[in-house]
Formats: sequence, C-alpha cells, structure tokens
Amino acid sequence: MCEAYFPVDPGLGLEENFLSLDDILMSQEKLPGRAESALPRLAFVLGQGVGTGDSIPEGSKLEIPLWLAKGLHDSKRRIISVELPKIYKEAWRTVFSADANVVDLHKMGPYYYGFGSQLLNFDNPENPEIAQTILQTFISRFRRIMDSSQNAYNEDTSALVVRLDELERALFRAGQKGLIDFQCWEKGQASQITMSSMVQNYGKRKFTDMDG
Amino acid sequence: MEPAEAEFLAEKELVTIVPNFSLDRIHLIGGDLGPFNPGLPVEVPVWLAINLKQRQKCRLIPPEWMDVEKLEEIRDRERKEDTFTPMPSPYYMELTKLLLNYASDNIPKADEIRTLVKDTWDTRIAKLRLSADSFVRQQEAHAKLDNLTLMEINTTGTFLTQALDHMYKLRTNLQPGKSAHSQDF
Repeated sequence: MCEAYFPVDPGLGLEENFLSLDDILMSQEKLPGRAESALPRLAFVLGQGVGTGDSIPEGSKLEIPLWLAKGLHDSKRRIISVELPKIYKEAWRTVFSADANVVDLHKMGPYYYGFGSQLLNFDNPENPEIAQTILQTFISRFRRIMDSSQNAYNEDTSALVVRLDELERALFRAGQKGLIDFQCWEKGQASQITMSSMVQNYGKRKFTDMDG
Repeated sequence: MEPAEAEFLAEKELVTIVPNFSLDRIHLIGGDLGPFNPGLPVEVPVWLAINLKQRQKCRLIPPEWMDVEKLEEIRDRERKEDTFTPMPSPYYMELTKLLLNYASDNIPKADEIRTLVKDTWDTRIAKLRLSADSFVRQQEAHAKLDNLTLMEINTTGTFLTQALDHMYKLRTNLQPGKSAHSQDF
C-alpha cells in the first residue's frame, strides 16, 4: 500500500514545500522575538492579553510561530525582530561541533534541520555559521544512522531512533527497508504473497483470524 | 527497486545444462535456444534452467567461477584491496542463491560456496559503508563505483541517495544570493 502513497516530502531549504505535512508541523514551532512597533488588538491572539481589544506595546517579548514570523518579518518595515532559538546559538553550535552524536535532536527539534534552514530567511548576521553547523551536524551523524539502520535486523529499533530528528528518522527507515528487503529475498520470503499490512490492520477482520 | 527485481534481471544470465530430453530449436523473443539433445550440454537462461531442473528434465553445470578455490581467491583479494574488485559475475549473489537453492545437488561443496560468497558480500558491504562515510565526510559530489553489482547498489542505494540529497540541500543553503525573497509585501 505504501508504494501507491506518495506523501509530499519536506522542502529542507529556504522554501518549504507548500503541501508537505512535515513542513506545516515544522512551521508551527515557536520562535522568540520582539515587537518593533505596537501591534493593536493582537495581544489576545499572540497569547499575552486577556481582552480581545488589548494591544501589544512596542518592544515586548513574543513567542511567534515560524510561519507568522516569516510573514511579518521584513527588513524595511520593522514590525518584529526575530531572535535565534538557543540550540542555533553559539553555545550550542560549539556543542554540535564537539560531538554531534551526543545531542538528542528529537528533544531539541524534532525538526532541527528544516527549522534551522528556515531560520536563514531572517537575515541574521550569524547565518553562515548556522548553515555550516547544520551541515556539519548532518555529516557527523550520518555514519551512526547508516550503521544502526543497516545492522539492526529483527531488533527493537525504538532505542536507536529515539534521539533522531524527523529527517533522520525518515533516512533511518530507508536504510532499514533496504536491509529488510534484502534479508527477505535471501531467505526466500520475497516470492511469497503476504497479506497487506493495511488489510491486517483493517477493523473488520477479527483478531482471531489473524493468528491462524 | 526490490531485490526480487534484481533477481529477475539476473535470471537472464546464461548457464549450461545437460538435458535428458530432445527438443528442436525453440524461437523465443529474446533469442533462439537449443536444440536440446539428451546428454549434450546447452546454454540456456537461468529462469529456464531452474524450471527444467524443477521438472527433473536436466542436470545443471555450475558456472566456472562457482568453485571453492576461485571464490577463496576472490574473497582474499577483496579483503586486501581498498577499492571494489571485479566480481566473476555481475549477478554473483543472485546466481549463487538461485543455483544453490534449486540445484545444490549438482554443485560440489555447495555449503562452502554459500559461506564464501556470503563472506565476500559482507566484506564488500562493509567496504561500501566505509567509503560512503568518507564520501559524505569530504562532501564529495560524485564517486566512481565500477565493480559494484546491482544487488549491492540496491540494498544501500535509496538510503545513500536520500542522504546525499539532504546534504546537497543543506549545502546550498550556505550559498548567498539564493536567498532572494519571493515574498516582498
């Protein structure tokens, strides 16, 4: 069934893919920022005031989702200014360059790469360093993802993927699929016709049927 | 591509069989086969050889390279060299599996051959991982893998191309000038 289903992949660049569910979830993540001008009647929407008519005074701190920050950000008309989330700041960049493998990117992300790439839209002076760190992080975590995805056969892989970013998890699944397909072929199971996993999970079938 | 599809392509390879029946030359779309005479060796594609073997209409002669000494030599050379060495057949893994599964009684020392081929495979896959890692680390954009077989490329292919695709995108983020805003209100 999964062969006939083509989900839109995340964009992973300066532009997201419009129809990618992963990118939509990613752009919900909050970004610290500051109002550069007063925003009338928006306090309630941004979760700061109580009344619907309250306005946000100039200079107040905000937590804005990425999609809104992207829309409001403009280098000419200064509506809001955006700060870097702490994992893209210098201190964390040093941690990543020391050993990227020890970082729990799922807790820090879970869209570390996608979100970081999107941050480059805000003309931050540290942009080159951010982009470089993201790339280096991917490179130094590559080996472990490859080895763990292609050596773990018939094992519980949840421990292996728990610290992986969503992008890395998709990569891990691709590696696992290659391994599992090959092992199935080697054991001669590839030629057997099996029940689709969709049908197996389908509610109408009784669980007693599946054991037989 | 799935391993079964790689196997499908491998079944086009020719092997020699000794039939125990007579049949005139047959004309197939991909070429003519035969004539078949009892006791006389004839070359046929693997798919036909296996079918005839299952119907007990022939005896299979293993390919020349499917021999313990030759495979030992190949395995040792594979371990010694840093790059991939040429394999005796572009479908060595598929042919070993097919022939040993369906005609192991015609192949001397089948178990040893199975182990040797598996050893060679493991060596090559380990080497492939090692070179993939250094490829990524040095941020190369192209590589030459002349002697890799289809089955080997196939098992890590999706993973590797996907990873390189991500890496390419992350690397182009670095280049300035591409960041021209399309949304200027």
